[in-house]
Amino acid sequence: MTEVATPVGGRAAIVGVGETRQGEHPGLTGDDLAVDAAKAALADAGIDKDEVDGLVTCLTLDGQGTDLAIGRLLGLNPAYSATLTYGTCNFSIHLAAMAIMSGMARTVLLTYGANQRTGRVDVTRGPARADFTEPHGLVHIAGPAALAFRRHQHLYGTTEEQLGSIAVAQRAFARMNPLAIFRGPLALEDYLAAPYLVAPLRRPDVTMISDGGVAIVMTAGDRAHDHPNAPARLLGMAQTASLRESQNPDNYLRPWLRPVADRVFAAAGVERVDVDVAFFQDPTSVWVLQMLEHYGFCGPGEAGPFVAEGRTGPGGQLPVNTNGGQLSESYMWGWLHVCEAVRQLRGDCGPRQVPGARVALHASTGAFFKGAATILGRDD
Amino acid sequence: MSGREALVLPLVDDPVTAPFWTGARERRVALQRCLRCAYVRWPPARVCPECLAEETRWETVQGRGTIWSFAVYVRALHPAFADDVPYTVAAVELDAGPLMIGRLDEAPSWEPAIGDRVEPAFEDVTPDVTLVRFRVIA
Ligand SMILES: [Zn+2]
Repeated sequence: MTEVATPVGGRAAIVGVGETRQGEHPGLTGDDLAVDAAKAALADAGIDKDEVDGLVTCLTLDGQGTDLAIGRLLGLNPAYSATLTYGTCNFSIHLAAMAIMSGMARTVLLTYGANQRTGRVDVTRGPARADFTEPHGLVHIAGPAALAFRRHQHLYGTTEEQLGSIAVAQRAFARMNPLAIFRGPLALEDYLAAPYLVAPLRRPDVTMISDGGVAIVMTAGDRAHDHPNAPARLLGMAQTASLRESQNPDNYLRPWLRPVADRVFAAAGVERVDVDVAFFQDPTSVWVLQMLEHYGFCGPGEAGPFVAEGRTGPGGQLPVNTNGGQLSESYMWGWLHVCEAVRQLRGDCGPRQVPGARVALHASTGAFFKGAATILGRDD
Repeated sequence: MSGREALVLPLVDDPVTAPFWTGARERRVALQRCLRCAYVRWPPARVCPECLAEETRWETVQGRGTIWSFAVYVRALHPAFADDVPYTVAAVELDAGPLMIGRLDEAPSWEPAIGDRVEPAFEDVTPDVTLVRFRVIA
């Protein structure tokens, strides 16, 4: 694989974030929620919609969120617009950064909105035909995640208690986040007492389904300080497209994420020890386990003990998903992770604030075929 | 199962994959080998993802393999499988190469484990659709 660096080098920055309340929004479409979030993000950035000349939207599982629909609702005729089907926010941010760095746009609005809970969207089956998996009952992301975790257990001796530490740590953060949907206490005993969903995974290992909207405003680096809040500058970004998917060896373990990690750190010019707070998009807790290893915060097979020692929880050496993640805060496909990363860098996170956070990593995957990572940093 | 319309069924008359489903109906595991580079195309494909050739040959293989991992569905996450829970889905590394997904048949006094050797079994789900499952080699 070619080692391509993408030295965005701070030439794009996030200057506004906004979201709706998370949970249930009967009567509102995903597009409505994207619009409400967009208004909040524009207000946070201190700009009027007429200053937006780029729009990057994210398609929901049920086909909402086209740039055409969102642009029309928001009354935008931007110079540039696009829709991604696998947003997970990182891919959307990278596209917006590329539009900004190429000069096609200066200030880009990014949106995602979904009413998958009240809309009863079927999240158990993928968008493409899956004749050799789904008819056997391998449905819902929890199934492949269970396959991946049991394999991890087999290879490295990882225990269910260790896996449970991830959901427990994220819940401890969520309890300090008013936006989070699940804020009740979750101790390891509670986790172990929960019934299996798809063994060896339990309910707390798997994301909830929720309605909500999230939006982000990005602008060119030389304008980053023309806004009321401290900018979160893009120090580095990297992706991989493992499009051969199941043809790749051990694909459920996502070994192809490792080069993304190497590239994003090289592009940003920071080391792993410089990361103050990390965000791993988490449809299941297994993603966090995998990414801790692939992004090199511990060695292969060491993520179990790493999380069990509390290193990713409040006060740990590498706080992970301080918003509670998709396991406890809300299922917004990684978008709320970015809002939280920006607020951590601003120092706005109240009791769950990581003291002096200057560098944040956000890593995500598109199912079992794409990976992306962004490193954000403060200016001062 | 809960009624035919609720089943999650494969398309068995797609010309690219039909020989696999025909084989399954006949109690065979048929795999598609590239005539140019010998790569086993799984899932089946019109053009070889290794060498981009079209020429291909369907081979009947023994279908034995080793359990790579397995997941036990305790809850039915899709209504089509409500009557099946609990059920076990395995990823099996076939001796012939590909990683194949299939249900694990239950067997007396057998707790499945990664590394167990399995052989194919066949389940007629409808008159047209037969799924390949796996069972432990006695
Ligand atoms: Zn070939």
